[in-house]
Amino acid sequence: MSTNEQVHSISTRLSLNLDGTDRTADVDPRSLLVEALRDDFGVTAPKIGCATGDCGACTSRVDGQITKTCLRLAVSAEGSQIVTTQGLAEDGQLDVVQQAFWDEQAFQCGFCLSGMIFAASELLAENPDPSDQDIRWAISGNLCRCTGYEAIVAAVRTAAVRQREIPQRG
Amino acid sequence: MSHGTAPHLDEARPLAGSSVRRHDGDAYVTGRIGYTDDLSLPGTAHVVLVRSDVPHARITVDVRDALTRPGVLTVATGRSLAGEFGPIPNAMDPVPTGGQPLEIHVLPIDKVVYVGQPVAAVVAESLAQALSAAADVQVHYEPLPHVLDPEAALAADAPLLYESWGSNVMLSGTVGSGDAEAAAARSAGVIHGTLRTGRGAPVPMEPRAYCADWDARTRRLTWYGTTQAPHPLRHAIAEFLGLRERDVRVVAPPVGGSFGFKNFGHPEEYLVCVLALGLARPVQWIEDRASTLRYGARDSRIDYTASYDDDGRVTSVACDMVANHGAASATGAFGMAFAGSLAMPSGYQVPDFRCDYRVVVTNKGPWSPLRPFGKEAGVLLMETVMDAVARRTGLDPLEVRRRNWVKVDQFPYVTTTGLELDSGDYEGLLDKALTVMDYAAFREEQTRAREQGRYLGLGIGFEVLPEGADIPGALIGASDISTVRMSPSGDVTVLTGVTSPGNGNDTAIMQIVADRLGVAMDSVSIVQGDTDVCPFGFGNVSSRGILTGGGSAALAADDVAAKLRQVGASMLHVDDAERLVLRDGFVSVDGDPEQALPIAVVAHALYTVGYIVAPDVEPTLESTRTFRMRNIRHHADDEGKIMPFSTFSNGIYLSVVEVDIDTGVVDILRHVMVHDCGVMINPRFVTGQFTGGVVNGIGAALTEEVLHDREGRQLSAGFKTFLLPRASDVPAFEIQHQVTPSPFTPLGTKGAGEGGVACTMASLLNAVNDALSPLGASINELPAVPHRVLAAIGGGER
Repeated sequence: MSTNEQVHSISTRLSLNLDGTDRTADVDPRSLLVEALRDDFGVTAPKIGCATGDCGACTSRVDGQITKTCLRLAVSAEGSQIVTTQGLAEDGQLDVVQQAFWDEQAFQCGFCLSGMIFAASELLAENPDPSDQDIRWAISGNLCRCTGYEAIVAAVRTAAVRQREIPQRG
Repeated sequence: MSHGTAPHLDEARPLAGSSVRRHDGDAYVTGRIGYTDDLSLPGTAHVVLVRSDVPHARITVDVRDALTRPGVLTVATGRSLAGEFGPIPNAMDPVPTGGQPLEIHVLPIDKVVYVGQPVAAVVAESLAQALSAAADVQVHYEPLPHVLDPEAALAADAPLLYESWGSNVMLSGTVGSGDAEAAAARSAGVIHGTLRTGRGAPVPMEPRAYCADWDARTRRLTWYGTTQAPHPLRHAIAEFLGLRERDVRVVAPPVGGSFGFKNFGHPEEYLVCVLALGLARPVQWIEDRASTLRYGARDSRIDYTASYDDDGRVTSVACDMVANHGAASATGAFGMAFAGSLAMPSGYQVPDFRCDYRVVVTNKGPWSPLRPFGKEAGVLLMETVMDAVARRTGLDPLEVRRRNWVKVDQFPYVTTTGLELDSGDYEGLLDKALTVMDYAAFREEQTRAREQGRYLGLGIGFEVLPEGADIPGALIGASDISTVRMSPSGDVTVLTGVTSPGNGNDTAIMQIVADRLGVAMDSVSIVQGDTDVCPFGFGNVSSRGILTGGGSAALAADDVAAKLRQVGASMLHVDDAERLVLRDGFVSVDGDPEQALPIAVVAHALYTVGYIVAPDVEPTLESTRTFRMRNIRHHADDEGKIMPFSTFSNGIYLSVVEVDIDTGVVDILRHVMVHDCGVMINPRFVTGQFTGGVVNGIGAALTEEVLHDREGRQLSAGFKTFLLPRASDVPAFEIQHQVTPSPFTPLGTKGAGEGGVACTMASLLNAVNDALSPLGASINELPAVPHRVLAAIGGGER
């Protein structure tokens, strides 16, 4: 066996708390975190739009921090707590940002939603009353080719209002 | 009503016209929507493409080493496939319009014509194994001279991409009528100029993804993938593989944006089929971002001469358009030059008009269809001409447009390129825009700003977009079939041949049907994108989802509604079924809500006790309908012109920019948009189309450009080098709608999928030039990236 072939056969065990459930899978140690989430754990909410950290479609929350999961190796997330948009809704109840994105038609093809929703959530956690400019800066790490961003800004505004009016769950 | 043609269905309805939210939005925001790459069929093999390093060369490919690598199942090359498979079908063929025959193979047989062109396909058990083995494919290149510039490609001694053509011109032609030169000679003034647009790219957020699965037992092929056009693609795949259409099923899961890129005609669509047939297992290919950027658009040069009279009326336009198509493709992208030429006179009365166009191939990646399908060329041209006439005559640019527009009472108006503009109120658009923008106040502000050394500019963009195309001889038509059926429990299912690229047309079609059957939205579901279950359709191209899919669904729903009224009349002992209405889930006597039955009860009765309650009624609650557009004409007139478009939505934009003359950076301060796409079924979805189009236009006008080095290597290979606008780069938009219903479509709707791109490109170009005018500087090339703006200022009288 050449070195190359040995590399092909190597896999490593990765344990995560994924969307509230402890999970373990065998992953190729060369995998990006987004690849492991999608291919080895079967959670496809994070998308691969560029694999270079530019578009944000792969965003998830890793140990409380929103993360472009194409910029991390899967093995670096051992033991991490990861939340995807699949895990944001609790008991079938949409998160305030998810609900606002639906109500305000803040997406078209939906491919960018992981990045937009997590960026908006993080903004609202830090700033409950953001200006439109704050919102635009907060989501500017994510690309959307469909909406022109206008409806996304409106959705984050709506989510902010609702979050202030209704105390957050938990 | 003559059978098959579009009737008018224009009664007021409760749901249509309201901004209902997406019916499946919860599945999207919780990440549960499955795109093609989210599918995982058991036993799927993975494809990695080996790509050309050089722009033009004869090739020989040695795959022996790669075949020995772990996990490798097969390695295909153009040569290995050539014996069994011919060229892929063309979505549109240039030959009938006098162009060259296209022979695009799944993989090139002996020659590459652009850097990045796939030359071999490595298939392995895992993607990692395929990637690893791909490095062991040996490609021997025998370099040929290459050409990237279309003018150089037109030279007599230019290297030829396709030797049998005898030149690098794929297609050339002339549109228009009259005698532009004679008109110019009679006119008060003549303007000469050149306009260039850089190479853009569609780049939806989801790259292409294809998976084919050959079932050796049933001998059927199922194809899953990112396509706008499942039925046309099924036809093409069957033709290519020599299968019957019924043995091919095309499934189009939700797509992550298309913008024209995911219409059919890409070699990889067929590659996965060939590989799946050979391996008798599912084979998947997922595109990477760099690959999406190899498909371009625009990259054109227009040299024009326009003439005008002292009163500001344009008397003629003659132009020569050279489009740099890059390598040939089977996607029908060349049609952008043709459609763009036809659309050129826009909504202006140009008595004498001519466009000579040439589609030239060079050693860049191929063109892809890209919204608004070439029509931005004419919008840029005419809006540039209008501003030039204003400068020459001293008239205000708004006034020049008012004098040249087709007027409200002139519709339907036949342009000098033979298009019959259906309806419109262009003056109304401008009046509306001026209620939002205080034009006089801006001009004062602009003057004050200039005194302070700030360069503000206001630009106007006006667009008329031929949409709902029906191209003779091609599977691109303006009629899609829809089926509406009601189950015994009153559940309604709509099956339609149009697909949804995420624009919400599925929900809007449900609104239309729910209204006509008098049921709630949640009683209705919709099925799209599966050729085994959906009626035939042309997919989503040319802005026709609601136009054709919605129109035919309305007709089918009306048939079912009539049946429900018949059965209901019998059950309620009412003689005249016409007295019954369907509303709020009930069949009731109009004006007498006491006499009512739940629709579900009536449906159930027809299925179960039809021999008692309605023995004379055919026992189905299902209808399949479509219709012909009344304004499309395929028989050529005396000048050889046809009328292949259904509707002509339109809009006007006023942009205010500030140009930083030290950095060349253009900042958009205001963007006022007024649009008219006729009746809107769901105004919020329509607005979303326009705001999306605007940001596409901002990108095309200011930042997005695919660049190549001299060796044809692409310098723009990702989002760090091809700059899509981000949320912080664009202003809030000021949006108004005007509604001038189409007299020719069932619901009065017009296409809404391509609006905003062209208008924005034109309004920003004009705004930048307005800002630079005190410096005596101007630009005639987009995108207006900083170095271009600075170069223009440097060449001016600063």
